[in-house]
Amino acid sequence: MTEIAWLRLAADPGVRVGSLPLACCALEVESAVRQGALRAETAADGHPRETVLLVAGTVTAPLAPLVRMVVDQAPAGTRVVAFGACATSGGPYWDAPSVRPGADAAGAAGVPIDVYVPGCPPPPEALVAAITGREVAP
Amino acid sequence: MTAPTPHHFIALIEDACTSCLICVQECPTWCISLDSHHEEVSEPGARRPRTVSVLDDFRIDYGLCMYCGICVDLCPFDALEWRPRVGYQAEGRDDLVHDIARLDGGTSDG
Amino acid sequence: MIADDMLEVAVAEWAEAAREARDGGLPFLELLTVVDRGDELDVVARMSDASGRLSLGLMTRVAADAPRIESLAAVLPAASWHEREVAEMFGVVFDGHPDPRPLLLRGTAGAPPLRRGTPLAVRLERAWPGEVEPASRRRSRQQLPPGVRPEWLPGGSA
Repeated sequence: MTEIAWLRLAADPGVRVGSLPLACCALEVESAVRQGALRAETAADGHPRETVLLVAGTVTAPLAPLVRMVVDQAPAGTRVVAFGACATSGGPYWDAPSVRPGADAAGAAGVPIDVYVPGCPPPPEALVAAITGREVAP
Repeated sequence: MTAPTPHHFIALIEDACTSCLICVQECPTWCISLDSHHEEVSEPGARRPRTVSVLDDFRIDYGLCMYCGICVDLCPFDALEWRPRVGYQAEGRDDLVHDIARLDGGTSDG
Repeated sequence: MIADDMLEVAVAEWAEAAREARDGGLPFLELLTVVDRGDELDVVARMSDASGRLSLGLMTRVAADAPRIESLAAVLPAASWHEREVAEMFGVVFDGHPDPRPLLLRGTAGAPPLRRGTPLAVRLERAWPGEVEPASRRRSRQQLPPGVRPEWLPGGSA
C-alpha cells in the first residue's frame, strides 16, 4: 500500500486531496498549502465526502505503473487531476523517450483523467479551481 | 491568502495576423498550428489585384504550451498578446486545443 | 566560475588526478558528467572540501566514437552512481566500475539519449506544424523545426 500525505481543502474539509509529487508542479501544491487553501489532514476531519488525486509532475515510463497503482487504490468516484503540462501532455518533455505524453497516455499504465490543468506551471489558484470545479476570477 | 494572480493566456488578434508562420516555426513545443490560403483582392483604382493571405485556422494546444511567450515576442505584427484569463482547465484533452473563436480574448469559453 | 579553476588532465591521468585532489583536501565529489563536443566528449568532475567553499574542476577528453575512461569509483565511491548515469546517457565505458548496471533507464536499449547525435525520435515522427509547402522551400538550418538537429535528417551533416 502506497502511503499518501493526505490534505484537506481548507474551505471545505469534506474534500480530501492527495498529491503525487512527481516533479516541480508539486511546489505549486506546496504553495497552495502555504497560502492556506489546502492543509494537512487531521484525525478530527473524519470520512471525506469527496477525494481528489493530483498528478503533479512528469510521468516517466518507470513511474507510470506507480501512478496507476495509486489511482487504482483510490476510493471509487475519486477525481484525478492532471496538474500541469507534463501530466497533461508530457509538456516540455513530450519528445523525451523516457517520458509518457501525459498521465493518460495509452498503454497499460495510463490513468483516466477527469480534469486537465494546463500551464508550466499552473498557479496554485488553478489548483483550487480544479479541485472545486470553480474558475478563478480574472 | 494572497490575492489570486490571474494566469495569462495568449490571445490572437485575427485581423493583424498575416499567416507568416513565424510563431508556428519558433514554438519550442510545436503547440501552434495555422492554415491559410491566398486571395486576390481588387481595389478600385489599382491596376492589378493584390494577393493577401487569409487565415483559415489558428490553434494553440494549451496542453503543450509552456506559456514561454516566444510567439508573442516574435510576432512582427503584434497579432498575439498576453491577456488575463479565466477558464483554463478542461475535462477533455482536446478541449485544451483552442481555435480562433476561443483565442479571441478568453470571453467566449468561460 | 567553474571555468576559472578547471584543471585539464590526460585521460591516462584521470583517476590519479582525482586521487591527488582527494588526498590534497578535496574529498567530496560534487558532480561527474559529460559535455558532448561532437568529435570529443569532455568528462568533467568537481571536487570540494568539507566546507564546500573550496573546489576544483577536473576535465579530460575522450573520443566520441569509442569513449572509454577509468572509473573513479575506487578513489571516490560517490562516483559510482554518476558514472552509471553517464554510461547509459552518453555511452561512456568506465573501466573497472564495480557495478556497471544501468541506473535510470530500463528496457530502453538504443543510442545513448543525451548524445547530440541521438535523435529525439518523436520530433522526427510527428509532423511539424511549421512545415512550408512545398518542402523544398525550407533550406536553411534556421528553418529546421525547433528541437531537431541537422544530423538527424537524411543527408544531414554529422
